[in-house]
Amino acid sequence: MAVARLNSYALAATIIVGALAAALPLIGASRYQLVLVYYFAYYLALGQAWNLMSGMTGYVSFAHGALAGIGAYATVMAMNAGLPLWLSIVIGAAAAGLSSLVIGATSLRLRGIAFTFATLFFQALTLLIVRKLPETGGAAGLPLQEILPIWLPQLFMIVLAALSTILMMAVRASRTGTRLLAIKGDEAAALSLGIASARLKLLFFCISAVLAGLAGAFHGLFTASLYPDVVFSFDTSITALAVPLIGGVATAFGPAAGALLFVGVGELLQIIAPGLHHVVIGALLVAVVLFMPSGLVPSTVGRLRDGRKGERSPAASREFAR
Amino acid sequence: MSVSPTLVLQLIVNGLVVGGLLGLVALGLALIFGVIRVVNFAHGEFITLGAYLTWMIAGGLGLSPFIGIPAAFLSGALIGWIVQVLFIGRAMERPPLDSLMMTYSLSILGLGLFSFFFGGDFRSYSAGPNGDFNLAGVTIGLRSLSVLVVCIALGALVIMLLRSARLGLAFRALAQNRDAAASCGINIRATERLAFSLAVGLAAVAGALISLIGTTTPSVGDDWLLEGFVVVVIGGMGSIPGALAGALLIGLLQSILGYALDDSWAKIITYLLLYLTLLTRPQGLLGRAAEM
Repeated sequence: MAVARLNSYALAATIIVGALAAALPLIGASRYQLVLVYYFAYYLALGQAWNLMSGMTGYVSFAHGALAGIGAYATVMAMNAGLPLWLSIVIGAAAAGLSSLVIGATSLRLRGIAFTFATLFFQALTLLIVRKLPETGGAAGLPLQEILPIWLPQLFMIVLAALSTILMMAVRASRTGTRLLAIKGDEAAALSLGIASARLKLLFFCISAVLAGLAGAFHGLFTASLYPDVVFSFDTSITALAVPLIGGVATAFGPAAGALLFVGVGELLQIIAPGLHHVVIGALLVAVVLFMPSGLVPSTVGRLRDGRKGERSPAASREFAR
Repeated sequence: MSVSPTLVLQLIVNGLVVGGLLGLVALGLALIFGVIRVVNFAHGEFITLGAYLTWMIAGGLGLSPFIGIPAAFLSGALIGWIVQVLFIGRAMERPPLDSLMMTYSLSILGLGLFSFFFGGDFRSYSAGPNGDFNLAGVTIGLRSLSVLVVCIALGALVIMLLRSARLGLAFRALAQNRDAAASCGINIRATERLAFSLAVGLAAVAGALISLIGTTTPSVGDDWLLEGFVVVVIGGMGSIPGALAGALLIGLLQSILGYALDDSWAKIITYLLLYLTLLTRPQGLLGRAAEM
């Protein structure tokens, strides 16, 4: 990858923010603040995982919640079997990666909606199957037997969020990133230029799934108990796609804005109207698709640069948000 | 476990009821995909709308649930028209990702609204036909029978409309070739709105009927929608005969598997059929991609 085109200021900013977030427990941040930072990192990691595949190629995945859930279950089951922490995390990531190959093999050689259907049903199937299996604790769930210090999964999640953001920057700056965007723009034309679209899509879906699996694994360590109806609910999948869509799809920093908004909206709704979560997220998404289809960050940046109302073409404003 | 002829007949009757409801859902999905080229992820919310409306009419006001059927159709068609004008029609002019995200976002919004206003309780009512009758050892509930009759009547009506009415001709023309249809003087916008409106009205009727034989929750429509998607993929996206054949197949399969194993396994096997279809016959069991 041509890392030379990577914006060094953006890279430095990401590393500094990540390091500051990781150092928060040392400078005496309150537990509430730490949890907020943790959820920001969790949403950002999930959002970047989705962004890397669906944001870049236009193949929408509804299964990122399920992939994260598989990572969580595999990691906690491995830990409970007495395996060391690092190996359990590797197993969690590998399980999510393997699942993505199963979804991808059945649907990614097809164009259009087949992939989205395959992910939608994967999500529904994993919930049904996990509830059935005795090994996964069935509907009653699965506790993590070993107690980990809470800062450990927090640190892992912050590192993962920062690394996935840097990975997204690197992909955007590389020729591979341009190839992915070409698939999104016009797959037939991309194929005719010699872009191996089926292989690229499968590769990036697998990378994306490994990232989601890691996010799930760390979240499983953080919550320390897994209930299938929570872990495999559609909400995690909605978060994974809403964060980059609201913030700015196929950009490196859009998801950060999206994750910030998600944490803020979540906290606000906890206080004023806990029942309205889906309504607000749904309405936000509808508004973004209607009025700023390239997302908050590209639209805002585009407006600032242009100094006039309205955004430029989505492609042009996406360039600004690199 | 002995399998008697009566048991087989009973399972077939139960399967036909589920198949009829799936048929109404899949008919709408196929119509929307054929005419508008959008996969309507918000279709389930209109099923839920019809179900809650009928529950309010029958459970709240104590009237006959059959009033819920036309009420569901009219309100579904009206809201569908508005949704197509305000949301989906606008997103359609952009890349396909936008219209997909639009229908999905609308489904999140709808699910949120239903959960907020009705809570998570299971709703049912006692008004309307009750009891059942026997025919050669097969027990058919009066409610199930009315569901079956309405599904068949409505399905026949829609197929007649598609085959012989001018509107049906316009639908088919748009499904075949938009530009050619426009150059023949068909009002594309109005036809799309009518197609969405009709499809969503059918979904609301399916919801009204579902509330008659089952319980209503905020996610009842989404559960049926998943099976509706299996049906349209098996039948071939956008194919109306395929959707009806698929609905019958899945209905019977669900009924038999639900008896032989249990409802979760019936669902698991149904969903796996979708993967099998994508792997072996992505164009669907019946023929070509966008035939109607």
